[in-house]
Amino acid sequence: MEDLRKRLLKAEERISYLGWIKEGSEWANLPALQEKLQGLRDAFYEHSHEHLAEKIGALEESLTFLESRCEESLSPMERVRIVRSPLRFSLKDMLENVYEEYTELGGEEDANIDPALVAARASIARRVKNKVVMQQVMVIGHEKGQGEEYRQGGSTKPWGNEKALRYMRVAETEGIPIHFYVFTPGAFPVEDYPGAGQQIARNLYAMAKLRVPMIAVTSEGGSGGAEAVGMGDIRLMFSHGYYSVISPEGAAAIEGKIREGVKVPKDLLENCAERLAITAGDNLRHGTIDRVIQEPLLGARRDDFAFFRRVKDEMIRATDEVVLKTKSLRAFRAYELKMEKAGADDDLRGYVSWELADDEIGRLILYRSRKYRQMAIQGYREHLSTGAAMYRRLGRGLAKFYYTLRYDVLKSRHKQVKKVMEDVSGEGSVLIKQVSAPFTAAYDFITRKPGSRVARSSAGWGSSSPEQIEYGEIYTSSLANEDRTVSCPNADKHGCKDLWVPDLYGEFCGVCENCGHHFPLEYQWYMKHLFEPDSIREFNADLASINPLSFPGFDKKLEAARKKTGRPCAMITFDARVMGVDIVVAMLYSDFRNGTVGAAEGEKFVRACEIARIKRRPLLSYVHTTGGIRIHEGTLGVIQMPKCTMAVREYIDSGGLYIVVYDNNSYAGPVASFLGCSPYQFAIRSSRLGFAGPRVIRDTTGEDVPPDYHSARSALKRGHIQGIWDRRDFRRNLHKSLMTMGGGNLYYR
Amino acid sequence: MKDKVLIANRGEIALRIMRACRDLGLDYVVVYTEADEQSEHVQRNIDSESNQRRAWRVASYTDPNDILAVADHTKCTAIHPGYGFFSEDYRFARRVTVRDQPLTFIGPKWEVIKDLGDKINTKRVANQLGIPTIPGTDGPIYNEIDAEEISRRLLEDQAERGISQPSVLVKAAAGGGGMGIEEVHEIEQFRRVYRQVQNYAKRQFGDPGVLIEQCLRDYNHLEVQLLCSRHGERVHFGTRNCTIQSTGRQKRLEAAPGFDTSCFPYEFDAPAVLDEIVENSLKLASHVRYDNVGTWEWIVSRSGQPYLLEVNTRIQVENDVSARISYLNGQHPNLIREQIRLALGDKLGYSQSDIEFRGTSIELRIVAEDPQRGFAPWIGTISQFSFPRHEWSAVYTHVPTDRPYAIPSDYDPNLALALVWGDSMAEAKQRARRFLDEMVIEGHNSSGAPINTNLQYLADNMDRLLTF
Repeated sequence: MEDLRKRLLKAEERISYLGWIKEGSEWANLPALQEKLQGLRDAFYEHSHEHLAEKIGALEESLTFLESRCEESLSPMERVRIVRSPLRFSLKDMLENVYEEYTELGGEEDANIDPALVAARASIARRVKNKVVMQQVMVIGHEKGQGEEYRQGGSTKPWGNEKALRYMRVAETEGIPIHFYVFTPGAFPVEDYPGAGQQIARNLYAMAKLRVPMIAVTSEGGSGGAEAVGMGDIRLMFSHGYYSVISPEGAAAIEGKIREGVKVPKDLLENCAERLAITAGDNLRHGTIDRVIQEPLLGARRDDFAFFRRVKDEMIRATDEVVLKTKSLRAFRAYELKMEKAGADDDLRGYVSWELADDEIGRLILYRSRKYRQMAIQGYREHLSTGAAMYRRLGRGLAKFYYTLRYDVLKSRHKQVKKVMEDVSGEGSVLIKQVSAPFTAAYDFITRKPGSRVARSSAGWGSSSPEQIEYGEIYTSSLANEDRTVSCPNADKHGCKDLWVPDLYGEFCGVCENCGHHFPLEYQWYMKHLFEPDSIREFNADLASINPLSFPGFDKKLEAARKKTGRPCAMITFDARVMGVDIVVAMLYSDFRNGTVGAAEGEKFVRACEIARIKRRPLLSYVHTTGGIRIHEGTLGVIQMPKCTMAVREYIDSGGLYIVVYDNNSYAGPVASFLGCSPYQFAIRSSRLGFAGPRVIRDTTGEDVPPDYHSARSALKRGHIQGIWDRRDFRRNLHKSLMTMGGGNLYYR
Repeated sequence: MKDKVLIANRGEIALRIMRACRDLGLDYVVVYTEADEQSEHVQRNIDSESNQRRAWRVASYTDPNDILAVADHTKCTAIHPGYGFFSEDYRFARRVTVRDQPLTFIGPKWEVIKDLGDKINTKRVANQLGIPTIPGTDGPIYNEIDAEEISRRLLEDQAERGISQPSVLVKAAAGGGGMGIEEVHEIEQFRRVYRQVQNYAKRQFGDPGVLIEQCLRDYNHLEVQLLCSRHGERVHFGTRNCTIQSTGRQKRLEAAPGFDTSCFPYEFDAPAVLDEIVENSLKLASHVRYDNVGTWEWIVSRSGQPYLLEVNTRIQVENDVSARISYLNGQHPNLIREQIRLALGDKLGYSQSDIEFRGTSIELRIVAEDPQRGFAPWIGTISQFSFPRHEWSAVYTHVPTDRPYAIPSDYDPNLALALVWGDSMAEAKQRARRFLDEMVIEGHNSSGAPINTNLQYLADNMDRLLTF
């Protein structure tokens, strides 16, 4: 009888699970089934064993049928609900079932700096010819902790990500692979030291060149939080997981322009989830993940031991694959690995040591860099005829040759030559002076007239230093053409007078003369005022944003943005000169879809990094405004975070100087990746920057933030940025930074 | 349509502009602040018997929004800024003239104010025309090595010319009003002083640029009064000497003409120098297309070398000193009236040859201040205020003589302008002393202390006028 009771309980669980997935709807008459089960349970002792077994068997059969029907037509939103189900496996189940032994690091349970992120040293077992071999790995992942309040549902705080980074470095020191498990709905959007975005950027920056193999598996991948521990050499995904740029609720709220506190309509939510392409299949198709780990019907639950076994095999296989790719002697084993099916008898597999030699590590990092460079290349469009493409390639090749010759080959020689020349000319001048001294004295004596020098015109005393170059005359903001006044937001505090618009946007450069509040200015102003006239040469101007996910209605929006700005995407990259120093600039501006970053912007940025690296020039990332990652491009947008950070890392490692300047509003993804990872970040006064806006913070944490939470001043206090610049002194500050800051390969210093 | 003038100023200049408007038959409106409610220029207009209200209260004389709102409301067509406040603010001038309903700014075009409002720029323009300016830089210097080289050359130059105590001034480029100025006598001290000034400038003004200039001692401060029309006509009304100044470069005694050979043996040919500065002033005015009343300030060293200092693009307090010694078809010109007339687009109607210069005049600025204690302003109530009336003197004041008057603490405590004239400088000085003797000002402040005025200071300094 006991086993029947157990089966009954199990059946009940399955019904309620189905109900959870279908969110209480009366799909397939679930309530009737529930009633039937209730009837069976009530009359449990009234039936004979056989009868009961038969009844339960019938119930189970219809349940199995229902489950397979449900599985066939799983909508993305239902997948989200599966992932969020309390029955779903968590990291702890993984640690217990996939690995043999593990030790949790950096705290346990709630006695932990951030219980939402778990780091553990674990050993994974594989059998080699009747012998069990243990291999050490570092496991880092989010712990949703079903029902455990203190884990915040896997939402990591910045210090949790910091812990992850710390143990990544431990793994790097010890030379063991890292297995990442991503179970997070998103990062916890606080700005306390070091700030959610800041820490994610640091993690990404470190992972770009981490010297050990990394495997990432995603079950629930919510945007930035997922990227903080998700930059794998191989990215796996559970078949019922989701990986998305933003939670479907968030996307729906933005798309439907839902006001705060209003519930998102269900069909809009379903729609958004559908469009965002969040499922494993979609992500595999778009190349943002490499492989899918198949789960049982309707997703694995915490007691699916066969599934855990499969996960273990997949993890070993993925790690082997990464390691083998770096080995020179690998042909047979790699072939075998390729032929092998997951879950097959692991006796057949050859042993692969996970320790890497130095040259192998080099290859590992190279392959990682190539992998991320190639991601999301289908997400933008470039109009290039074959001839133009050839021409461009030739140009690149020549430029590379020229700059290598100039800076690598000739630079050291040049120094030597210069030194010799200095010596010679020094000797020569002394010699000439000695010889000619008597004649000069005589000449001076003869030509000397009393007071002859008094008549010298007082003109010409001043030396024209570069500071005196006035670019300001050539461009006045188009905002300045109205005869009206605006009030300064600080008028109450500082008693500022109302400002006349032509003054404000003309001479005051959009700055209140009394309190120094900066009003937003259009990006063209910076183009004209910051750089020397005629020094701006734009490149990759034909790279265009497209609608890779065929997001309904987005084509129209893109078209409108194109018409408004006359540009194909939200990033402009160009060569420019600032007070005599050549630099490369990548500029995100607000007019095009609020400066959001998608595949085209990311690609442009990466190319700008490459050009700056080839030309040995400093790279300035000026952020006029950015609203984050463009949600309409789904994970193709999110993938720009690791992709661009990788490019930045390579640029900085090759000796470049990367300066970031924030203006107006900069939030979310870009700040948490390729902008936030710069060691030199500055903000224009009165700008705001951070990870998530006040509304998102309110929604996620339930707390209101003070009004100056995201102000540049607060960011400076937290150590996010290095300084606050006045817009009027932008050029001088930039020049000073270029002359004083980092970068080993800058030829001009 | 007849023009209507808004007078955006206070005190005696407001009264004089009112009078000039009345002479020209123009309607006018005055503005005042709360503190000035008792002032003469308000009192005369607030109970004006006509139905039109002539006085409007504003929050401050320097709030353009308020003043333009009044101008629009009262349908004014022109704004007279007087002196101080908006008179040399090219932004205000521009705002008045380029807005959707443009008004006439009674003063030069805003472009001219901008060009000449900046001392450094004036110097640059003057250098281009070959007009002498004080030797030194004509732009901010940011580089220590350049700066040292320039000051070394300046010091050597002075030594060569036989100047006994060569020295240069290091100034904060963004500074003003005497702040951030240091003197250097030897090149060895230069770097220390340079860094000191640079740090000060950086801290105080946010701009580390410095200016370097020769330091002049023993000089006279001269001014040339010009009048230009919008049609390119230019005349001058002679020169003034404004050497007697309080600390902070506030003028206290002015005399016209600029030099008088009868009262001091100059080392140089004084009339020739005066001619030279007038000529150079006209040259600069024609170069920048100056188009209203203006004053060219000059420094003349003991040896007679003139240097252009700056240009005041406005009517000045002391304009009457010049008007008093000039005769236009037998009459003294009224420069404020001329200014308004020309700003509204009239032609000059006469030429330089119609202007004659005769006699001398001295202007005394009577201020409630304590010359013993650094010219500290005095605040309190005046109980008695009376001045002598002669046919050789005139007084401009906004202080009422028939009732007590509390000096508003928000503004400079100027009480009156007195003008004294005579055939020769000796006679004018004599009369000025007598005038000061006969002047009676009594008053107390809140703690009962008697009023401090500069009457004695003016009398004491009378002898220094026009000398070196």
